[in-house]
Amino acid sequence: MTQLVIKNNSLKPPVKVSHTRSKILIIIVFVFLSFQSFAQGDRVVSGDISNMTFKEFASAAEASLKIKIYFRDEWVEGLKIVDYKGSNSLNQVLDFLLKGTALFYNVNKHGDVVLTKDYNVRIQGAKAAKETGLAPPSDYAVTGDNGKSEGNAPVEIGNPSEKFMPGDVLLTGYIKDRDTKEPVAGVTVFNQKLMKGAVSNDHGYYSMSVPRGFHVLRFSFIGMKEKSVSINLYGQGELNVELNSVLIPLKETVVSAQRSKTLQRFEVGVEKITMSSFRLMPTSMGETDIIKSVLLIPGVSSVGEGASGFNVRGGAADQNLILLYGAPLYNSSHFFGFFSAVNSDIIRDATLYKGGIPPRYGGRISSVLDIGSREGNRNEFAGNAGISPVTTHLTIEGPIIKDTLTYLLAARTTYSNWIFKLFSNPALKNSKANFYDLNGKIVWDLNKKNKIDLSVYTSHDNFRLNSDTTYSYNNNLAAFKWRHYFNNSFFLSTSVNNSRYDYEVSSSKNKLEAFNLQHVMNSTAFKSDFNLFHGRHEINFGLEIIRYSVLPGKYLPVSDSSLIAPRSIERERAFEGAIYADDKIVISDLLSVEFGVRLSSFLSLGPQQVLAYNPAYSKSLSTVIDTMNFTRGEVTGKYGGPEFRISLNFKLSDRNSFKVNYSRTRQYIHLLSNTASISPTDTWKLSDYYLKPQIGDQIGAGFYEMLMQNRVEASAEIYYKRIRNLVDFKGGTDLVMEDNIEKDIVNLNGRAYGVELALKKTEGKIQYSFSYTYSRTLVKSPVTFSEEIINSGKWFPANFDKPHDLIATFNYIYSRRVSLSADYTWSTGRPVTYPVATYPLYDGLLVHYSDRNRYRIPDYSRFDIAVKVSGNLKSRRIAHPNWTFSIYNLLGRQNVYSVYFTKEQNVFKGYRLSIFGRAIPSVTFSFDF
Amino acid sequence: MISEKEIEMMKVKSPVFLKIQWLTKLALIAMLFVAGSCVTEFIPQIEENAELVVVEGQITDRQEIQTIKLSKSLPFGERSTAKPLSGCNVTVTDDLGGKFILSETEIGTYTLPPSFHGSVGRFYTLHIKTGQSNRNLSYESYPVEMKPVPEIDSIYYEKVVVQEKFEDFFGIDGCKIFLNTYDPGNICRYYRWDFSETWVLRLLWPVDNIKCWVSDRSHDIIVKSTAAFDDSRIVGQPVTYISNETDRLSRKYSIEVNQYSLNEDEFSYLEKIKNLNAGVGGLYDKIPASIPNNLICIDNPNEKVLGFFSVSAKSSRRIFIEGDFRGIIDRYNKCPVDTIYGDYDPPDLYLTMWPILDHPQTFGAPRTRILTDDKGCADCTVRGTKVKPGFWIGE
Repeated sequence: MTQLVIKNNSLKPPVKVSHTRSKILIIIVFVFLSFQSFAQGDRVVSGDISNMTFKEFASAAEASLKIKIYFRDEWVEGLKIVDYKGSNSLNQVLDFLLKGTALFYNVNKHGDVVLTKDYNVRIQGAKAAKETGLAPPSDYAVTGDNGKSEGNAPVEIGNPSEKFMPGDVLLTGYIKDRDTKEPVAGVTVFNQKLMKGAVSNDHGYYSMSVPRGFHVLRFSFIGMKEKSVSINLYGQGELNVELNSVLIPLKETVVSAQRSKTLQRFEVGVEKITMSSFRLMPTSMGETDIIKSVLLIPGVSSVGEGASGFNVRGGAADQNLILLYGAPLYNSSHFFGFFSAVNSDIIRDATLYKGGIPPRYGGRISSVLDIGSREGNRNEFAGNAGISPVTTHLTIEGPIIKDTLTYLLAARTTYSNWIFKLFSNPALKNSKANFYDLNGKIVWDLNKKNKIDLSVYTSHDNFRLNSDTTYSYNNNLAAFKWRHYFNNSFFLSTSVNNSRYDYEVSSSKNKLEAFNLQHVMNSTAFKSDFNLFHGRHEINFGLEIIRYSVLPGKYLPVSDSSLIAPRSIERERAFEGAIYADDKIVISDLLSVEFGVRLSSFLSLGPQQVLAYNPAYSKSLSTVIDTMNFTRGEVTGKYGGPEFRISLNFKLSDRNSFKVNYSRTRQYIHLLSNTASISPTDTWKLSDYYLKPQIGDQIGAGFYEMLMQNRVEASAEIYYKRIRNLVDFKGGTDLVMEDNIEKDIVNLNGRAYGVELALKKTEGKIQYSFSYTYSRTLVKSPVTFSEEIINSGKWFPANFDKPHDLIATFNYIYSRRVSLSADYTWSTGRPVTYPVATYPLYDGLLVHYSDRNRYRIPDYSRFDIAVKVSGNLKSRRIAHPNWTFSIYNLLGRQNVYSVYFTKEQNVFKGYRLSIFGRAIPSVTFSFDF
Repeated sequence: MISEKEIEMMKVKSPVFLKIQWLTKLALIAMLFVAGSCVTEFIPQIEENAELVVVEGQITDRQEIQTIKLSKSLPFGERSTAKPLSGCNVTVTDDLGGKFILSETEIGTYTLPPSFHGSVGRFYTLHIKTGQSNRNLSYESYPVEMKPVPEIDSIYYEKVVVQEKFEDFFGIDGCKIFLNTYDPGNICRYYRWDFSETWVLRLLWPVDNIKCWVSDRSHDIIVKSTAAFDDSRIVGQPVTYISNETDRLSRKYSIEVNQYSLNEDEFSYLEKIKNLNAGVGGLYDKIPASIPNNLICIDNPNEKVLGFFSVSAKSSRRIFIEGDFRGIIDRYNKCPVDTIYGDYDPPDLYLTMWPILDHPQTFGAPRTRILTDDKGCADCTVRGTKVKPGFWIGE
């Protein structure tokens, strides 16, 4: 296969050359509007060219070949033909001269040469495309407005002799970041004329079927300079593109590529967050935070500020699968939920599937948040360091072997202890709280076909309060991934990962009761994922096996004087397995279908002692009738079944589309929590003999329309969800060190429905988004035993049911150095249970509560603002400083987090608690180097 | 078949929970402070008026007056007095066919026959039928076993220095009272304690009723399980804390602690009640719920009934404390007083004023009387009794 390197004119040349650009553009427009063909034979410049400078050689070539060579003087300064031993061939000389520079050249149909800087496109034709040129472009080329916005000489793809063959052809290729050579996922490849597009996958691969002829393809992605490439398509071929990431961090916010993507995506309810978009957000304590960005997505809410976890479309917080390096993260927060556990410096992007979860994911019924991590810079050493009121962080990255082996290391820690020192209360003054997290990633391109990477992550949280009880928790995660490219349209990605979460509580204040309590969740997964692109099909299939091992609780005496009896709840073990297949089929220009199925199964294994209860009564220790002993490896519980995932995408016109989907998911692991928010002592529990998997069915539909010349994207989505076997508890149960937890569990059924309306403008100097969500989440207890009935067995709102949710964001890019952003949130208060009566018992006064979740706390509303200032714009400076000034809760509104009641002199009083009682200003300083 | 011992072992309650709850709350409070969080009082808008039957009843193995109190629940946040439920038929039966009819001795208070006292190992059931004015509903408890209880090993106190004497400030002391208990047979695994306290009160002025004995009862639920321990041994169980802001420790103080054996279900009921009632409004508060008790309404299973029918063996122990505690605030220092001279009595003077000092006329000085409008300042029987309790040792 011969490679023809065709140089293209950059769409956006470097900052200071705009005046030259316009000249070049005009020339190019002229050039390809005159449809003359020109044979590009091996043209030889006559005479002695040795020791000529570039300019001298150019003059000589122009004179002898009757062509024009376009370039800027400053680009070619110092280029000279020294020690050149080749022929006088124009191409050879240019290759020699431009080797090692950022310059590229392109020979157009006239034989004229155009130099470009910082930009090139490689074309691999199906056959040798070198002697093309003879075939004139197809009729598609004669469209008037192409020249207006595009300045490229068309790239010729495929064998010209196939030009008049019938049918569409398949255009494929890889998209990479020019600086880091990393594949770029999520790039929209859009053909404006056909209003048709594709999105690159995780390997940076895209494919689309297009008619032969002239096309303009636009490659766009947030944080990358948008690029248009004109092509003359003769036959099947490949177009590989390198995108420039935006050098100046501020500008990241300017470039946006969401607009046509939504129309093309198959799934309903998929949102992608890129680094740049969430970097700009106002912060609560000076920390950019991925989970806080997720909360701005319509359909996502949390029970309150500082609550760990989030709720997606009426799902509980443990129904979200959070993937980091492809491995599940079991605790996604630091400091009880005030910070998210993943350092934003290592995030490339994050995709939230709130509906339409692809079959390659499973195991959680509400959503998947796949956090894509960055790879180390492939060209040079780089880094970033920063400081905010409570944390400091450092990231370094670079190549070990250039372009082949790279590393990225990131560390973050807090120095928040000074906050505790401010207190006069001795209990708080003697307290300590620490956390840190470390990330490391090595990526190695073994060869063109094989790529491996190894990622590790560890996070640690530690609290010691009042020098008494110590509380700590850790996430440890390691993932190994091997990507193999069988050919250009068939890939394999195989990974092995381990994720371990544990917490430990210990106290030694009372020597007789000194204890240590431990809980461990450990999972090891193997996954093989195949991607096959074939014509109109994009096929994804694979298998996944997860082994779980959970230590529900281990409770030990700490010293000899402790009277605590050592106790350990029997370890739980299980396997979860799944095979899946999925096919995205482009049936016609107007209809695409995705059909997938995931067969999942779950086996919980012995050794395990299981109590048998009298089925005539609610399970409790007094209704135990027998004990069953399962031996090692014996199956105690077996669950599974097919999960269908189907979506249809109708393109109604160039500007709008309509999508429908259905999906089913099963969840075999559960977080036991009987508090409103995820609490740090909540424990993970596997499905077993008694505990059935949660099953979620969701049907959704969405309508998408581009408004105002494709600058504003409007969408409306609706969904209905049915959830079976939700885990709830008999009232007031303690979950710590509780054996045979099935006796305290009540399985509820749930249903959720909602409408999500959004309007987004994500480019230009002024960007904004508005979204409004109406959603309900209702649950119902079974009507079996009186102990298990909640609210007489009627439907009642779940803890996170917040019907109205309004979010507005606004960004104003004043200049490349200064930008302003603001966001506003308003939502209905979450449901609460109020005390309705008091009664005496044992000389005390007790409270009787209303029906569960019958009342609501007041509405929530918050306005935040942030200004980002970049100190220096020069991209080659040693360090780029950035300042972020933000004010969280600018209006100082005292949003009610919760209400509670205490007894004062035998009378109960109600109180409201607000977490942020005033505006919280913060300043963050960071610099890239 | 699973043995009872195994069940006991499985159902081990850990004391860790409360610690963790406290810990997480403290962390939260720390964050809250930083975030400028705040707490404001409010009155919830309740749309319902729940008036449910409340059963407050306990039978023990003691030869003493045993009563069951019935009342109606009070609307939330109202400082109204109890609403006793009168005119009910109340009986207690045991598993040997014994039937004991209770008589309403006070409004809403039903007393067992004086001959009755429970026996360890028996199961008792409570039956209630409300009267015509209360919808004629029948309630019943589950059969409840009376478990044995050991004696209290010891009760002791510790002086707590609240504030050291420092320059102009006086030292302030408080007092913590603890108990130790031990069941050598390892049978009693769940305990509840309550106490009654009595102390000597002496007024500042030479009035007739100058010295009284004042009594009070515990108002909190104190429970503990030893199921997590090898031995049923409890050391250093806090009973109560006496602050310097009361006059309990000013002279002589006595506390009698009662120890009750509990069934596992009553223990777990009380634990849950405590968990739910211990809310401080943090992030990790339990979602409120109605806690199942051991009572049901036979006529209408949806009709809730509050309270618990408690069956316990009981043991008691008393100590006296006569220590040197500093900084005790004597409320009588703040008695409002006024002085009148001469013999003239304004009409109705002694309806609203009480004399604390009456100094007769001497050598031309007029008769002087010091009066107060707080009867408690002039008469100790407002708070206590002049009759020395039978258990009182010494003065």
